[in-house]
Amino acid sequence: MSSTASSSSSASRVVLSVYMALFFGYLFLPLILMVAAGFNSYSPPSVTQWQGFSLRWFSELAADERILQGIVNSVIVATGVIAVSLPLGLSGALLLSRLDARTGSLLYGVLVSPVLTPGIILGISTLIFWRQVDVGGGLGLTVMAQSTFIAAYCMLMFMARLQRQDTSLEEAALDLGATHLQVFRRITLPFLRPAMLSAAVIAFLQSIENYNTTVFSIGASHTLVTEIGSRMRFGLTPVVNIIGLLFVVTTVVVAVLYVLLRQRERARTPAG
Amino acid sequence: MNAVYRSYGPLLGTIILLGVAVWTLAMIIGPQVFMVEQSLWRLEQPDSAVTAGMRIEELNNALSLAQYDLGTLDGATEPDKVAEREKLARSVSEMEQELSTLQGQDTAPVKVYTIGNYTEMSGYHAEIFVKTIGASLLVTLIAFAVCYPVAYAAAKLAKPQRAALILLGLVIPYAINELLRVFAWLMILDYQGVANSVLLWLGLPEPIRFLDSGIGVFVAMVYAYVLFMVFPIYNTIETLDSNQIEAARDLGASTWKIHTRVVLPHAKPGIAVGSIMTFMLSAGSFSVPHIMTRGTAQPWFSQLIYSKFYDSFYWNQGAAYAFTLLLVCVAFIIIMMKVFKVGIRDIAK
Repeated sequence: MSSTASSSSSASRVVLSVYMALFFGYLFLPLILMVAAGFNSYSPPSVTQWQGFSLRWFSELAADERILQGIVNSVIVATGVIAVSLPLGLSGALLLSRLDARTGSLLYGVLVSPVLTPGIILGISTLIFWRQVDVGGGLGLTVMAQSTFIAAYCMLMFMARLQRQDTSLEEAALDLGATHLQVFRRITLPFLRPAMLSAAVIAFLQSIENYNTTVFSIGASHTLVTEIGSRMRFGLTPVVNIIGLLFVVTTVVVAVLYVLLRQRERARTPAG
Repeated sequence: MNAVYRSYGPLLGTIILLGVAVWTLAMIIGPQVFMVEQSLWRLEQPDSAVTAGMRIEELNNALSLAQYDLGTLDGATEPDKVAEREKLARSVSEMEQELSTLQGQDTAPVKVYTIGNYTEMSGYHAEIFVKTIGASLLVTLIAFAVCYPVAYAAAKLAKPQRAALILLGLVIPYAINELLRVFAWLMILDYQGVANSVLLWLGLPEPIRFLDSGIGVFVAMVYAYVLFMVFPIYNTIETLDSNQIEAARDLGASTWKIHTRVVLPHAKPGIAVGSIMTFMLSAGSFSVPHIMTRGTAQPWFSQLIYSKFYDSFYWNQGAAYAFTLLLVCVAFIIIMMKVFKVGIRDIAK
């Protein structure tokens, strides 16, 4: 390696480092400001007009009935979404693993299409579809609307797991006289258990997070996120910053735990 | 089909097929079909109802006039006035009769199939539509330009420990709720927000109205969706054999050449997926404009759709607008698949 090449590459490394620092500053600074404003006793939320450190917005959040009801509703919807999406996603994955390439590709395209569709359109089409049988907006309709695309995420996770399955085990069990139900219960389901768990977690998080689809299907009811959405539009209050803080802390904890677990797993299998 | 029953047996096989059938028909295809159907008709007053309505109005005017005249003749005893009064009273009762038969007629609006919901988009709405699509394309382009170096650095330049840290730094803001990420920018760009405080401190004469001008929507949109570009590109670059980059460098390729000839071609599927996601999310975003315009800046197309459904309750045109948006997204996906030569299996991973 010549000296000019190494000096130019070190220069580009400096440029890249500066760029990365700027990029992460861009990503995190707004979040830090949002969290900081939650501790300012001044309202509307601000960091420049500092009126002293305060925890009053925490107690206001704890006393906020609509927000608390929203959290309950969000959990109800998310539970419903898991109950609908997991069986559907599993059916899709099991079916696709046995179809020939041509039919499989077509069906795969249809099942995955909701992931690539704007969320508002999923909400609108579900709303119109169920109106035909006089079912209006609400928590139930939101479960259906969200499951349309969340089931696809579940399916993708099941498919990834099924690809690594050794089907000879199932065939051997069938040859030895086990019934299909026994094979499914004793071999397929246990093999899929890790995927089920992660699919349920992803479905839960996706459902809690969802705004664009929910806002069309929720009707007169509300979830935590749609309530936050309407609060933001009409007057800012630091209570929202506290919710933000809770989200940020939860996310950081979960993400760090996840990375640590993965590293430990890697350390256990040095080849990987 | 037979393979399914052979593998899972009659009971499970039927459950699986039923599950997929319900999913595809009642949750994916059915709702789309009904949305399109809804967009193709509207309730119209039948022609007879329109003419009847005009006649009713005419009669009402004439009637009140006659009744007024009748009132002025009240109590008159002169014979010619009495005759006139009787004549007036007769015509009043005739008019009242005609009115009641007209009002009894069925004037219920009828369902008329038409493409009017699509073609009668007002100039103002068409302008918003074009601006929404244009802005979404720009968001996608900016996201790509910003994210490519980050994805490349995380995948190929950083040592494993540092790469893990970078990924963690990307995952955290990505996982935080979209609304809250937008809210952070609302605080910054508000009239009395952080950005204006800093600018005033730097000597700007008066605060800038970021939110009213629509700049706020754009800035927050880039921030909200930029990370949807990073992960797909990172995933594809990570599968690139670093030896290929080394070999190109040893053969004397410049950094620019290495990227345009080795890294970018390999990253095509990732770029396609990232672009599709970013564009789809931007064009269909309701949260960002809903929060950032605060009703003052020009709305986003998704907001027009929302107001068709929930303010004017004109679902037919709302459905037409929604389907138009869907068509644009489908067109974008097809173009991306053609340009980057990737299949549907590569896209949804």
